[in-house]
Amino acid sequence: MKNLWEVFVMDMGELAEGKELELTIRTLNPGKQKYTYQRVKAEVSSQLDKFADALQVRLGRGQLSNRQFSIRVIETVQRMPERYR
Amino acid sequence: MGKISAPRSNREFIEACVKSGDAVRIKQEVDWDNEAGAIVRRVCELGEAAPFMEKIKDYPGFSYFGAPLSTYRRMAISLGMDPASTLPEIGKEYLKRTNSEPIAPVLVDRRDAPCKENVLLGDEVDLTELPVPLVHDGDGGRYVGTWHAVITKHPVRGDVNWGMYRQMMWDGRTMSGAVFPFSDLGKALTEYYLPRGEGCPFATAIGLSPLAAMAACAPSPIPEPELTGMLAGEAVRLVKCETNDLEVPADAEIIIEGVILPDYKVEEGPFGEYTGYRTSPRDFRVTFRVDAITYRNNATMTISNMGVPQDEGQLLRSFSLGLELEKLLKSQGIPVTGVYMHPRSTHHMMIVGVKPTYSGIAMQIAQLAFGSKLGPWFHMVMVVDDETDIFNWDEVYHAFCTRCNPERGIHVFKNTTGTALYPHATPHDRKYSIGSQVLFDCLWPVDWDKTNDVPTLVSFRKVYTQEIQDKVTNNWTDYGYAPVK
Ligand SMILES: Cc1cc2nc3c(=O)[nH]c(=O)nc-3n(C[C@H](O)[C@H](O)[C@H](O)COP(=O)(O)O)c2cc1C
Ligand SMILES: [Mn+2]
Repeated sequence: MKNLWEVFVMDMGELAEGKELELTIRTLNPGKQKYTYQRVKAEVSSQLDKFADALQVRLGRGQLSNRQFSIRVIETVQRMPERYR
Repeated sequence: MGKISAPRSNREFIEACVKSGDAVRIKQEVDWDNEAGAIVRRVCELGEAAPFMEKIKDYPGFSYFGAPLSTYRRMAISLGMDPASTLPEIGKEYLKRTNSEPIAPVLVDRRDAPCKENVLLGDEVDLTELPVPLVHDGDGGRYVGTWHAVITKHPVRGDVNWGMYRQMMWDGRTMSGAVFPFSDLGKALTEYYLPRGEGCPFATAIGLSPLAAMAACAPSPIPEPELTGMLAGEAVRLVKCETNDLEVPADAEIIIEGVILPDYKVEEGPFGEYTGYRTSPRDFRVTFRVDAITYRNNATMTISNMGVPQDEGQLLRSFSLGLELEKLLKSQGIPVTGVYMHPRSTHHMMIVGVKPTYSGIAMQIAQLAFGSKLGPWFHMVMVVDDETDIFNWDEVYHAFCTRCNPERGIHVFKNTTGTALYPHATPHDRKYSIGSQVLFDCLWPVDWDKTNDVPTLVSFRKVYTQEIQDKVTNNWTDYGYAPVK
């Protein structure tokens, strides 16, 4: 199933294409988990059919960007120190 | 003091509001994703009855109570007063109660604490099992804490702090929040926990009695549990937490226990704020790891939806900031006749009435106001004389536009403390809580001759004799005018 993700950026430049990025994204899939975050390594593309999942973008004050991306989540990243997990 | 009979819990408060027509029961299912928030927002903008939403999508058994204190009527009900009480009457009552003897809280057994009816520990802990709302479309997250108290204890002094500091759900076990550096919790973190790298135990209490919520967002120097007792006229019932040494209100609807992490941060915001904007950007902020959740059967989550006027943040904080300043100025012997903040100023302007008995009195008021613990929350002080009705904006505005001398009456204070939320501040100033403030002195100068230099006010009440005034008012309808209410 296609997942829908969302990311907040201050600048569209944060979504560089053609390389691995580390992003904090939230799921927009319906259900109780909607809007929960994770830190991930991912690749994004403005070609909507390049990757299976979709990514929408919000700017610094929550404004929805009209630019859409596709995204491939490579893996989740645990930033929280082990002792707190 | 006569016996106070204020609602002792959120449930008693909802019941009282429904009875007086100040709350509406919504039986149809409401979505936690935007719909509930939009209902609360519209209620605030229309000054409507508070929505008690009994059925929440995805969360059977939970309900919402929105806009708990966004009208003076509900504020009066929360204090056990007649809902029709006027603002000056409510203010007088607040001053009377908060100038009384502190009432210490009592500790009750967990069997007598409804907030322990359900206890989630270990792997069961999951914030997504609570109906955490997405309050405004485009917010940085679902907000767990919008009308609540974050409970902590000072590690050295031992005093307890209940503060309303917004909390966002980052994931099922993590929250992030905006705790300003000049707040009581902010100071405990920066003075003690962060330098030592120690976690700070906390408990978030949601669905408080309205007076406990009022105390949690009042800028009073009295510790909030005692302050709640004074407002309610009886001791608050507390119960021990499951996973730390803190004590929480036994009648609260939901309790979230955990630790504030000293060396790890996740993103928080943006969020709709009391100024009517989203101003503070997304940033890495204070991070809360959750260890336990306890809640009542059929728990009700309280929701405040901050935005353009008027919501409870504006109404209540204008109220308590004004009255706490009045207490402070009176404690310094200044002949103030009243202090009022118009909620529509989003608590940015203090209007102070004073008997102008000596020179520099407006400056003295502004220095005390800006220099106090309350100071970062407003950036304008307007001082008018005791003959101007501070509650009547038309009169205050007239005094401002006619008596405030551009050269002598306006004083700018630079490099003070501000909040990250000031829409007019630069992004840099917001980030570092750098403020600037201004005094508008609307008093006639003391060194002007009262007879020859001070202009006389030309109004019906001021220029005609009582005899003429009576004649005209008594004949008013005979002249052909409608009666004046
Ligand atoms: C709805 C609401 C939300 C608030 N959110 C915050 C916040 O996120 N951070 C903050 O420092 N103060 C916030 N405040 C203001 C504090 O609650 C207020 O300053 C309170 O008096 C806490 O004071 P203390 O730090 O002196 O105990 C909020 C107030 C209200 C009414
Ligand atoms: Mn406090």
